[in-house]
Amino acid sequence: MADIIDLLVQPLRYPFMIRALLASLMVGTICAVVGTYVVLRGMAFFGDALAHAILPGVAIAYLLQVNLFWGALIMGLLTAVGIGYVSERGQVKEDTAIGVIFAACFALGVALLSTVQTYSVDLTHILFGNVLGVSGADLWLTAGLGILTLLAVILLYKELLVVSFDPILAATLRLPLNLLNYLLLTLIALAVVVSLQTVGVALMVAMLVTPAATAYLLTRRLWHMMVVGAAVGALSSVAGLYLSFYINVASGAAVVLVCTFFFILAFLFSPSRGAIWMWLRPRLAAKA
Amino acid sequence: MPAILEVDHLTVKYNGKYALEDVSFSVQEGERVAIVGPNGAGKSTLFKALVGLLHPTRGTTNANGAEFGYVTQRSVVDWSFPVTVHDTVMMGRIAKIGWLRWQRPRDREIVRRCLAQVGMLAYANTQIAELSGGQQQRVFIARALAQEATILLMDEPFSGVDAPSTEAILEILDHLRDQNVTVLVSTHDLNLAVERFDRLALLNRQMIAYGLPHEAITPQSLAAAYGGQALWQGEDYALVVGDIDCCGEGGHNHG
Repeated sequence: MADIIDLLVQPLRYPFMIRALLASLMVGTICAVVGTYVVLRGMAFFGDALAHAILPGVAIAYLLQVNLFWGALIMGLLTAVGIGYVSERGQVKEDTAIGVIFAACFALGVALLSTVQTYSVDLTHILFGNVLGVSGADLWLTAGLGILTLLAVILLYKELLVVSFDPILAATLRLPLNLLNYLLLTLIALAVVVSLQTVGVALMVAMLVTPAATAYLLTRRLWHMMVVGAAVGALSSVAGLYLSFYINVASGAAVVLVCTFFFILAFLFSPSRGAIWMWLRPRLAAKA
Repeated sequence: MPAILEVDHLTVKYNGKYALEDVSFSVQEGERVAIVGPNGAGKSTLFKALVGLLHPTRGTTNANGAEFGYVTQRSVVDWSFPVTVHDTVMMGRIAKIGWLRWQRPRDREIVRRCLAQVGMLAYANTQIAELSGGQQQRVFIARALAQEATILLMDEPFSGVDAPSTEAILEILDHLRDQNVTVLVSTHDLNLAVERFDRLALLNRQMIAYGLPHEAITPQSLAAAYGGQALWQGEDYALVVGDIDCCGEGGHNHG
């Protein structure tokens, strides 16, 4: 027992580990809650694209030597609105619009970054995160944006629910359909920006999708799904970070792998939707 | 008696094509109207124009301040969504509850009452995925009632629903008439439309015929609407049978 406590306390001797843990906890929670909508509305590709599309914003912020947050934030919001607009116009299908915009932005970001001497190190940090480099100021920004995002999700719970479940009803109720849809895109953009430093661009979609998908397999109501998703996201983030501390693997990758482990458990053993029960049920019923 | 719903020369263009052209009709309070027509006849378009989801290119619709309740077509809804029957009916209350507010005891009371009205109160805590097609349809009717709607628009409520459930839905509509709720139903089932509704609208982008069911259905009007592909067994004649698509407009959802 004392060994386990020691194992858990050991990393906390380092201030950078405490900051990293706090950041991961917040990011895991925020991404999972917003990710609920990403999963239910089938927006995984959008989430992945948005994460990649913020690269030029990050690059410009880097070149101007301001906090990468701001570059990511501006670029994230621009891309979210841009994709929303192009797919709303309906000249090309939504996934095509996303594909075009995201690849273009990503290419621009790589091009901008390649002008820098320390190109490969910086790119690696942006692609895969650098959670151990989280500063105190980063933490405050994460907390601020996170609270803003969660507040929006809570205060507009019933409106976002009906817009996602039945847009025709939402229109009948005279809810501002477009405004709510853009707001949701904005919230996803905020979640992406917040998790940039923790998991990086390449693995971000896992934070949005995997905890929420795990919760989807375990719950039957939207807010339950949000709570369970947040718990899975937070737990995976912390567990992943410890894992990376002790076995010395990249932290973002460790977090995502722990997350995936939880998903596989739920996929197999969920009482209502798990693969094993689905397989067993008709066979048990046949015997009885 | 003044009409509760007046549609006047309604024309809707959708993706550059005419989905509805010069459609006019009026509905009295408490009437039950069946809207019949082939796939792509503009039945859903008509409903969407009525609730303001699509804007008319020309013409007007006037519901004299009555509130619409839209009973969404079952096949366009994701039934695996994590909501219970109670949650689903509560969605009808959103506009009444208002922004930045939570449901009140009164709202929960209304939701329970509406569920009882469609015989689904026992399923309040069931996830909607576990319901049969007919039960899902009844939950959506309860949702429209919770909205305190006085005109119900029902998009293909009988498609993919078995005979007892169809009968259960029709019974609910009977009760609704006693409460002066007006009902517009789109359906592929001509026989049902003729036998169980007060008015019949035969639609194929244009209004082919509108009136009492037996008067609206003639060999000529059917030929105009379906091009000789209708299935109709009248009392004294049967019409040519083509290969009719019985559960079209995406009705192949038996989840």
